[in-house]
Amino acid sequence: MDKERLERLRKTTGVHLAMEAKETLRQMEEDFPVHPAAMQYFYEQFRIAYGSGGANEDGRKRVGTLCVQVPEELVRAAGAVPVRLCSGAHAFDQVGAEFLPAKSCSLMKATLGMLSLRSTAFSGTLDLVVNPTTCDQKKKAGELLEEFGYRVYNLEMPASRDSEEAREYWHRSVKNFGAALERTTGVRITKQRLADAIRATGLARAAYRRLHGLQQSRQALIRGTDAMLVTNAYFFDDLDRWTGAVNALADELEDRQDRSVFVAGKHAARILFTGSPPVFPNLKLPLLIEQAGGVIVADEVCSSSRLLYDLAAYDEQALYDMVPAVADRALKPCTCPVFSSSQDRIRRLLDLAQTFSADGVVYQTIAGCMPYDQEQRTVGRALAAANIPLLLVETDYGPDDHGQLSTRVEAFIESLRGKARKRA
Amino acid sequence: MNAVKRFLNNGDINRFRFWFQVAAFGLLIYGGFLAVDLGNSLPAFSCVFAESRAGACYLYPLQHQVNMPWAQFLGGRGVGFAVGLATFILFFILFNKAWCGYACPLGTVQDWVSKVRTALGIRFSLYSERTFRRLKGIKYLLLALLVLLPLGISNSLVGAPKLPHDLATAYCMICPGRTVLPIFTGDISQLAIDFSSKTMTVLTGLGMAITGIFFAGSFVKRRFFCLFCPMSALQYAFSKAGLLRLTKIGAKCTRCGNCSRVCDVGIREIADDVTSKNIVQDDCMMCFKCVAACPEEKCLTASFLGIPVYEATVEGFANRARRRNVHG
Repeated sequence: MDKERLERLRKTTGVHLAMEAKETLRQMEEDFPVHPAAMQYFYEQFRIAYGSGGANEDGRKRVGTLCVQVPEELVRAAGAVPVRLCSGAHAFDQVGAEFLPAKSCSLMKATLGMLSLRSTAFSGTLDLVVNPTTCDQKKKAGELLEEFGYRVYNLEMPASRDSEEAREYWHRSVKNFGAALERTTGVRITKQRLADAIRATGLARAAYRRLHGLQQSRQALIRGTDAMLVTNAYFFDDLDRWTGAVNALADELEDRQDRSVFVAGKHAARILFTGSPPVFPNLKLPLLIEQAGGVIVADEVCSSSRLLYDLAAYDEQALYDMVPAVADRALKPCTCPVFSSSQDRIRRLLDLAQTFSADGVVYQTIAGCMPYDQEQRTVGRALAAANIPLLLVETDYGPDDHGQLSTRVEAFIESLRGKARKRA
Repeated sequence: MNAVKRFLNNGDINRFRFWFQVAAFGLLIYGGFLAVDLGNSLPAFSCVFAESRAGACYLYPLQHQVNMPWAQFLGGRGVGFAVGLATFILFFILFNKAWCGYACPLGTVQDWVSKVRTALGIRFSLYSERTFRRLKGIKYLLLALLVLLPLGISNSLVGAPKLPHDLATAYCMICPGRTVLPIFTGDISQLAIDFSSKTMTVLTGLGMAITGIFFAGSFVKRRFFCLFCPMSALQYAFSKAGLLRLTKIGAKCTRCGNCSRVCDVGIREIADDVTSKNIVQDDCMMCFKCVAACPEEKCLTASFLGIPVYEATVEGFANRARRRNVHG
């Protein structure tokens, strides 16, 4: 790409991105007026990140990550800041469409599209991009990223996570990754540094668990879209500040619970959201669900619960025990469909549906995502066997299918009305 | 009631266990000085060779009691055997395998050796799954020998000649409990090879070698000896009747592996088995470190007589993580 064209592309994409972000935020804030006051912090974070531009920079090295399987504790212990790069912007999607195969999923096109522009306003300066070998599209992204001029670390991951061999391979892989991080930042990962990182991320995750637990409330205390924005902010926000903001939100929700302030009626259909991740600003499907009168009470997606749910524990405060602990945390409970078995994901969905009293499940597949598409079969069968209604949706980041989708979603929510009433 | 439950679930089981073990060690090894006598059917290595013990490990009387002709099993001596076994079972089912994790002096010694190792910053070693499966059968072999050898002294087993009397307490002669535990009472006389007969020379020689292996093994491997312990094998036969139980709700499990990683004996089923409710394996010592490491609400539960006494909770997990850096 010649310089002039790149500059033009950056500029127009920036304008489109800002419009997109503004529209999503507008829908979130205006369509549902009874937000907790603590949500303002998160809206503001997105307004800054997508409006005035400029990612948080504080002199520390920044390590971009492409999937949830990157053990963030190691990145932090090495003195760097992890930044999740997966993008949900249609503006970037269109940039990526220029050089990626037509059948690539929107998330890939958007993420690589964003990175191809090499604009610090979008992703900040990145000292390293870590690309776990998850799905085929991500796997092949490494070379492209190198072409764009990034330093790339391909974090090799096993295709299954049940066998001891897979675990050993992963542990070795993570150990090497730690060494690569040390080379990048020049900071040694000591046991104290790693213990601090595990503790700080553990506190963030514990804060998320509080929020997650509050979503079990029989009448919804928070919109699912709001909760998704909270977890999406974790992609780029300062760790301790984020933890504080989530705890403040949880405090407020607990207070609202005592005062019986809810964001949805008793009969609102409770939805469990699963499938391809809804990443800001592409909250199209979650917003449609809640605009149709449903409320998302739980999710099983890698931009929300899968990103933050799991907690690492170790026995001995030493690297030989803590590194495997964070490696296991990132791999073993991960229900990503790239792994050979879908059984853990099914168990997780059934448990979530039960503990969160979900009336139905919405399964989003972003067009082009083979693993999620293929897992629809086994997941669908298991949900049917458990008598849980399921809506399968294939969509992308574009606005074209909005009308058609809203009809389908409304019909689904409507069909759950009887069930919701019986439950309430 | 809820406040008590919350207090317990938020607790740090490791600290509690450390001090409980110290107290149990003191009682079982030095209780004799205070004239404490818990009988001689204890389901823990409260070794008879430690003079000031407060009670005796059941394996010693067991070997004596089965050392009689078949016919006598139906007579008075048979009753003695039955009473001994019944007492053992009653003691055992009270605390189930927590005898291993909380009371067994030999287990406690291994945990202290591990403490020395961690203080030196030396890593532990782990068995691969295959090695683990192969080795865990040894304790059943030892248990079988422990019963068959004394039986073979008084009886001719499958037509073989009767065995020499020196094999009467053959297991004790090779058990590291006999050599290690008396040291704590100032008695090092067991650290010797008995040359009085060929059998004793071999047995006590083996015992000395095993003592060496015991220290070296437990230095590199947490609870090294427990994988081979015949007491553990004997206990497991009655574990299902235990009043203290460890249960798992598989649906809550994410198979994150925290429980299995912190497990001193290296049990994998605790993380991978999502169908069994009673999750106690033969190697389990019911230390409940797994419960403390589990971040899933009520996924793992230790209960006594059906009353939960220690449950995995998100709050408890977070509290322990928060305190972690203070206590190291």
